[in-house]
Amino acid sequence: MLIYLARRVLAVVPVLFGVTLAVFSMLFLVPGDPVKMMLAEFVTSPDQIAQMRAQLHLDEPLPQQYGRFVANALRGDLGTSIRSRRPVATEIAENVASTAQLALASMAVAIAIGVPLGLLAALFRNTWLDVGSMVVALLGVSMPSFWLGLLMIFVFSLHLAWFPATGGGDLLHLVLPSLTLGTIASAIIARLTRSSMLEVLGQDYVRTARAKGLAWWGVVVRHALKNALIPIITIFGLQFGNLLAGAVIVETVFSRPGLGRLIVGGILAKDFPLVQGTVLFVAASYVMINVLVDVAYAFVDPRIRVG
Amino acid sequence: MPPSYSSRLVLVVACVLALLGITASTAHAQAGGTLVIALDQEPPTLDPHASPSAVTFQIIASITENLVYRGLDGKLVPWLAESWTSARDGRSVTFKLRRDVKFHDGTPFNADAVKFNFDRIVDPKFKAGGSRSSLAGYAGSKVLDEFTVQVSFENPYAPFLAYAAGGTLSIVSPKAVRETGDQVHTRPVGSGPFMVKDYVAKDHTTMVRNPAYTRKAPWSDRAGGALLDTVVWKFVPEAGTRVTTLESGETQAIYLVPAQSLPRFEKNSAVRVEKIPYPGAPRIWLLNTTRPPLDDVKVRRALNYAVDKEALLATVFKGIALKAFAPLTAAMLDDPTLRQAYPFDPAKAQALLAEAGWQPGADGIRTRAGARLEIVLNAIEYGGGPEPTAQLIQSSLREVGIDVKIKAQARPPWYEDNYRCATHGPVMFLRAVDPDGLYPLFHSSLVGGNFNWSCVKNAKLDQLLEQGRREFDPAKRRAIYLTIEQMAIDEALTVPLLDELSVWAFRAAVRGVKYNFATYPVLSDAAIQK
Repeated sequence: MLIYLARRVLAVVPVLFGVTLAVFSMLFLVPGDPVKMMLAEFVTSPDQIAQMRAQLHLDEPLPQQYGRFVANALRGDLGTSIRSRRPVATEIAENVASTAQLALASMAVAIAIGVPLGLLAALFRNTWLDVGSMVVALLGVSMPSFWLGLLMIFVFSLHLAWFPATGGGDLLHLVLPSLTLGTIASAIIARLTRSSMLEVLGQDYVRTARAKGLAWWGVVVRHALKNALIPIITIFGLQFGNLLAGAVIVETVFSRPGLGRLIVGGILAKDFPLVQGTVLFVAASYVMINVLVDVAYAFVDPRIRVG
Repeated sequence: MPPSYSSRLVLVVACVLALLGITASTAHAQAGGTLVIALDQEPPTLDPHASPSAVTFQIIASITENLVYRGLDGKLVPWLAESWTSARDGRSVTFKLRRDVKFHDGTPFNADAVKFNFDRIVDPKFKAGGSRSSLAGYAGSKVLDEFTVQVSFENPYAPFLAYAAGGTLSIVSPKAVRETGDQVHTRPVGSGPFMVKDYVAKDHTTMVRNPAYTRKAPWSDRAGGALLDTVVWKFVPEAGTRVTTLESGETQAIYLVPAQSLPRFEKNSAVRVEKIPYPGAPRIWLLNTTRPPLDDVKVRRALNYAVDKEALLATVFKGIALKAFAPLTAAMLDDPTLRQAYPFDPAKAQALLAEAGWQPGADGIRTRAGARLEIVLNAIEYGGGPEPTAQLIQSSLREVGIDVKIKAQARPPWYEDNYRCATHGPVMFLRAVDPDGLYPLFHSSLVGGNFNWSCVKNAKLDQLLEQGRREFDPAKRRAIYLTIEQMAIDEALTVPLLDELSVWAFRAAVRGVKYNFATYPVLSDAAIQK
């Protein structure tokens, strides 16, 4: 178990190295002089440009700049936003809770829709229930989130007036955004539950359980589903990345505070330190969450620890 | 009223005047309530001196106050200053200040406060936004007595009074700046009829009625503070969402109504749309006068006759813009002579091109001595395609035999090309509150800088632009800038395209919203009819 853990954690190092390198090079991959680009909207003198260059250490050799970037990031210093002039870490801290809330709520919605849908499809394989569920899943996965979001606003906010369309804060504001993101994420969970369930239902122990006279429903829920859900945990980690990506759109549509809005605002304002810092934070959290998922996986499924 | 502002008033005055009567008579009956306004973006900061962004000034227009006020009629009237006199040499202005003003934190407003604010803006340690250029050549402020302050400049600087009325030179409480420092970012402490209560990033900011405000605001015809208790500014970037919140009543006002929603709003009696023309430069194509074939004035004039602005107004800009005639919008400076300049006349354009030696070629594009008539338009690529006017210019000019290549690119190389005069010029726009906005466009010292992208070096123009900065007499200033505009039109330095409108939509029950010269709403007379 310890070896497994150590191996997983060590594997993170090259990934994070790649992430920092990618985020760091962002500044140089965009055409044009980054400083002039950042200052384009301001009235600037050559002095100000030179000052900004020095402030961002752009006058140093690249390896040194990269080293500074990583060292600062390790200390939690992600630089200062050009637009708001506040530490990027502070900006992230203010927004992370809102996005985490959205991600968790969406995950709950995705599971609440996806698992029963997948289960139905597997149990009633090759019937209209199966086809129907999978068509719904296909629709979900194909729907662009901004479109579904606007549709939700149109129906539930404008016509039914059940939920507010904009803002963050209480649970009422969370309903439409999490339904939007969750519906889309539920599709893949439904498909996965279906195939995983079909595989488990064909296993010998399921036949044994049935043969020794256990009720069909009991076998499905207590034996089959429990095992079928293990791969879903992996998907949880992977879907988390999709949810963060979706949050960029959904937070904008529902004008909800969060990391997605922070990134979009940063990109539009050409606020490089903000975009770099936030992307780095999001990427690092994604990696860490997947490590945690792997660890959780090992706890849930003893076969993994052995292998 | 000078004729220059008449066109903008035509649009607004009728309904505003009609509403004034209602508001004044029923004002007290409707006091109280909350107005929720959705804006298209979040301000980078609410600190008026640090912000480069118009959003800041939309929000704080009734929170902070200025020495001078300027409404849509363009007249400068007293606000925090009771009166002012400009020195004969144009290098300084002396303000006599009101004695009864207190900031939201209870500290008194006085000459020291004015000096503190202006000194703060030019402090090299302070990262000023748009405010720094409003105080170009600032030499210092002298406190003559507790309520008299003299503001000096290195050179004669007549535009200063217009800037003194603009958001960038708002006066904030020195005590609050000293004690809270960066807090000014979200909590500017001004002296206006509203004060900031809270600021929730990416969500909203709330301002509440200032109970201590008993004066008569310069835009109002009654003494006393705001009618509303609370105004909430929500930040809603997605246009479709903004429109829906107004229709559902979640908000009572929205800014930046998308053109495609206008017909729906105009049919909806629960909603009212208000459009105010922006001052400054219109959406305009600056023609690079140094690069052949645009070094030939005949070709430049031909472009002015050939571009079909009506087609733009019928499509992308339907309902959110007016036809532009000159390098300043009609809201800034209007005159019958400007409006007659270049009607849409492709035949005339063809004739001018033929006169310049460009004869129709085999593929429909004109040629001269074997060279095709090609023009490179510098356009910003916004992700969803280049600047929306570019394609229309391209198709208009093709009709008269000019091949326009659109160089769609990211902002930094776009700027670089403009600085180096490397294309036949960009389409751009500039917001300004003074006709001095022409100085950056046409003064020879700004070729290679911001924004003389027509790359024009003309001694007569330079002299007039400098004269405009020295002249304090409004009638004489107007004459100077009118001459400059006529020169720019005659020389065809630009193709003015569209005067854009600041478009707001309200629930019909919202009354009494007024606008300052920069088109930002002042809200102390606003009320929601029960």
